[in-house]
Amino acid sequence: MAAVPQEKSLSVLQRRWRKFRTLKRGWYSLVAILVMYALSLLAPLYITNKAWVVKYNGEYTFPALSGFHAATEFGQRTIGEADYRKLKQEFQEADAGNWVLLAPYPYHPNESLMRSLEGRPPHSPSRAHWLGTDNRGRDVLARLVYGFRISLTFAIGVVLLSYTLGIAVGAVLGFFGGKVDILGQRLVEIWSGLPFLYTVIIVSSLLLPSMWTLTAILAAFGWMGIAMYMRGEFYREKSKDYVAAAIAQGDSSRAIMFQQIFPNALTPLISFAPFAVVGAISSLVALDFLGFGLRPPTPSWGEMVNQGLSNIFKWHLVVFPLSALFITLMMVVFIGEAIREAFDPKVFSRLR
Amino acid sequence: MAQEGNQRKGEPLLTVKGLKVHFPVYGGILRHKVGTVKAVDGVSFRLNRGETLGVVGESGSGKTTVGRAIINLHKPMYPDVELGGEILFHTESGQVDTNGITRDEMLPLRERIQMIFQDPFSSLNPRLTVQAIIEGPMKVHMNLTAAQRKDRVLDLLDRVGLQRSYAQRYPHEFSGGQRQRVGIARALATNPDLIIADEPVSALDVSIQAQVINLMMELQREFGLTYLFIAHDLSVVYHICDRIAVMYLGNLVEIGTADQVYKSPRHPYSKALLSAVPQPDPRSSNKGRIRLEGDIPTPMAKPSGCGFRTRCPIAKPSCAQDVPELRDVGNGQMVACPFV
Repeated sequence: MAAVPQEKSLSVLQRRWRKFRTLKRGWYSLVAILVMYALSLLAPLYITNKAWVVKYNGEYTFPALSGFHAATEFGQRTIGEADYRKLKQEFQEADAGNWVLLAPYPYHPNESLMRSLEGRPPHSPSRAHWLGTDNRGRDVLARLVYGFRISLTFAIGVVLLSYTLGIAVGAVLGFFGGKVDILGQRLVEIWSGLPFLYTVIIVSSLLLPSMWTLTAILAAFGWMGIAMYMRGEFYREKSKDYVAAAIAQGDSSRAIMFQQIFPNALTPLISFAPFAVVGAISSLVALDFLGFGLRPPTPSWGEMVNQGLSNIFKWHLVVFPLSALFITLMMVVFIGEAIREAFDPKVFSRLR
Repeated sequence: MAQEGNQRKGEPLLTVKGLKVHFPVYGGILRHKVGTVKAVDGVSFRLNRGETLGVVGESGSGKTTVGRAIINLHKPMYPDVELGGEILFHTESGQVDTNGITRDEMLPLRERIQMIFQDPFSSLNPRLTVQAIIEGPMKVHMNLTAAQRKDRVLDLLDRVGLQRSYAQRYPHEFSGGQRQRVGIARALATNPDLIIADEPVSALDVSIQAQVINLMMELQREFGLTYLFIAHDLSVVYHICDRIAVMYLGNLVEIGTADQVYKSPRHPYSKALLSAVPQPDPRSSNKGRIRLEGDIPTPMAKPSGCGFRTRCPIAKPSCAQDVPELRDVGNGQMVACPFV
């Protein structure tokens, strides 16, 4: 045996991860998506109509962190929550040592700005509202960012849930085979035959769907493909000798399924995941567009695209939501493309 | 480690009586049973502690099926399999018939029977490190801490002639011979009594075959192992085995000591098989070569009576009547043919 240079051994997945990182387009897309998602998760801290700091009568409050403060707490005469943008003006005019530090982008996605803006909504982009406002006078940038957060959270939730279901069902069908498999496959086929859109429309007309019920509905109709992939993988893998060896060493069925076979069945799961995310985002947009998705006034991309359609001559309502959707989906597809490439056993890859 | 096996050498370890393994074949639209593959159809033999029994035969003769039946692999993988006969495993507290028992019932015995597989590429899980592969049986059967398991894995790597640093590597980094050594280390992990070696060297280069065979023989001396050595290479079998059993179409046709079967085979099939062993001397005459006509019949439609009669040079009409029983032809050599 020749002397082998002492290099740490890499598992199959580790090597593929390394290769994935060399595929710049996919790798940068992944980094960008993750950074954008992290930023959008923190959006309530910097895209909000709550002020960061209010100094009033010698006391400091931090509404962006502490939440609701009645207008009367700061000497405003209105009912309900304090209007910090107005408060800032009032404090400046009074010049009594009180001040307000607003968030960098001080608008809430569901807040109508009709009273403070001149003219009829939708307003075109301006210095205050970078991407303009929609037909109810709500800030488009704020809605886009919050909508991104919802879209991606939703998509990840759908993929996780449908994967869990699909993996469990597919593993059982493929591993046990025989009558379990034949019966199970027929049940899966019957389930696949249910018309998805009608079911969603019926469900959402019966109960106004929350984000979680929508996730569950979409996952309930999205796991069959994964189940069939998994079934095939388990069917193929279980005939290999390492499974016989696992039986011979006394492993339980569950240990064989999830410790021995499952790590060998990851390829279709991982390479399909980005496309499943794309599918889930598009589904949510489609449902929202049709009005069967998230309850208004939730900032959703589908609803924004719909506004673009009904205000087709307001360019900013058409261009910005569609570009955001397009860029997001494209980056996720880039990730998927690079993953596929990284899992390709051929060394010389097309992408570089 | 255990010298117990050496002390009790010669005691019976395994008795197989009339073993049958039949696989139903399904077909048609409704997937009904259309036939049966009689892979093993009434095989009986005894295996003593510390000895090596070779099982030879051509492809499709059922030798691998016998090995897998002894380690009880069929029921978990093909629930429809039809099993018959007895596989008696001799333990301190008496005999246990392991044929077709449930996986839970089999579990305590798995510690004592291990297997080496033919294909070193598919028998090691590509996603696990060598460490994880070898400690698999220990995790199930031995109550050891992670550190103790690690030590034992390193000892075993030493013992099978691999570097200790290989423990953290993955199977794809090894050659066939090295992988087979990993497979052997896994089989040794629980200090088993019996190792089923299913063509352990068939997939290896000839030079590596010798190394692995010699390793297996060393390990047998050291740990008092008993081998059921399944192979089709007769010279390898003669080299390593104490006794040899010849199989044809799911039946044993001859069994005896290695010398008896290799030097003076009695059954017409054994004779033909042995005459096919290549001679190292190119000038030696080929006169002794017995050529069989045709192919081995399909085990779905076995000939009546003696399975070999369709190709047998000395077949008689009576061969179609009954399946010939093994009979002693002297010095313990048993032959399933009434005419030799």
